[in-house]
Amino acid sequence: MLTRRIVDLIQGNAAELSKSIVNEILSHPTTKSYHNIDEKTLLDMIYDICSRFSYWLSEDDDRGEVKKHYRDLGKRRFEQGITLPEVVSALYLTKRKLWEFITAHRDVTSSLDLNQILETSFLLVRFFDHAVVHVTEGYEEILKEKYGYEAPLRNPERFAEAMAEKEKRMRVMKEKPRLPELCFTKGMIRLEG
Amino acid sequence: MLEKMIEMIEKNSESMAEDLKEKLLSDPDTKSFQTLDDKVLYEDIHAFYSRLGYWLLRDPEMGDVKSYYTEIGKRRRMEGFSITELVRSLILTKKHVWDAVLEKGIMDAPVELNSGIDFITYLNRFFDFAIYYTTLGYYKSLGVS
Repeated sequence: MLTRRIVDLIQGNAAELSKSIVNEILSHPTTKSYHNIDEKTLLDMIYDICSRFSYWLSEDDDRGEVKKHYRDLGKRRFEQGITLPEVVSALYLTKRKLWEFITAHRDVTSSLDLNQILETSFLLVRFFDHAVVHVTEGYEEILKEKYGYEAPLRNPERFAEAMAEKEKRMRVMKEKPRLPELCFTKGMIRLEG
Repeated sequence: MLEKMIEMIEKNSESMAEDLKEKLLSDPDTKSFQTLDDKVLYEDIHAFYSRLGYWLLRDPEMGDVKSYYTEIGKRRRMEGFSITELVRSLILTKKHVWDAVLEKGIMDAPVELNSGIDFITYLNRFFDFAIYYTTLGYYKSLGVS
């Protein structure tokens, strides 16, 4: 459960925070293609996270909203010509800005506040971990749809082959090394075996 | 305190590497790791844990972090891994480090909580870049424009 003070801090500064995150994304070298997106749409999306910080961070991943939202986002970003590393970077820039904002308000004299910050960090990290995983899943799905690309080891047959190759390597390593037999014939060394 | 947390992980790098290896091998979401040689996988994880301070305390935007993880992304793509599996494995590693710090009960006093916040900042900063560069290496090697 997020503490009221931190929630109020983020939600109360949602407009200003969102603008600063959007500026960061639009000016960062790792997220150049975000210029393809309408700035207002991007701002609205980030404002939604900041203004409903408590809701998004306490969302249970099993309930599926984060999963669906970020899978769809991964697909949408692909259609908008944004690469996967850029999408991942934008999510991390957002997280970093939120984290900097929270830690800038840490009160060193109160252990309770530090506990609250630490607790918030778990939720923040968990939320963005799920977001990055699901956005990547969505991106992989659309790569398969559009380019027919699927990671080879996703294919059960290819996976079985790779496991068989591994078994073979392991067997060779476990076998005792056999030294070649030495046959001395008139000063020559002939190796057999 | 930050050093104490890093030292604790480095000292326990062998058992932690073994534990994470088992987690990666038994998790259905990171199934492709089963195709790697166990010893190689263990050594890769151990190399990271035994030098955690080296990795966490340097600038992750450049140098070794960038080149190592870009290369990992590229290599794992060639080996047939999916990018989601790689992202999941790095998140699992981060969680594993953090759980170890919590389990050892290092953070009890307020000053230790402050170090805990510093530690989680370094840890996240590192893994954000590790995941970003892995994704970059993987994606570039796909040749998708």
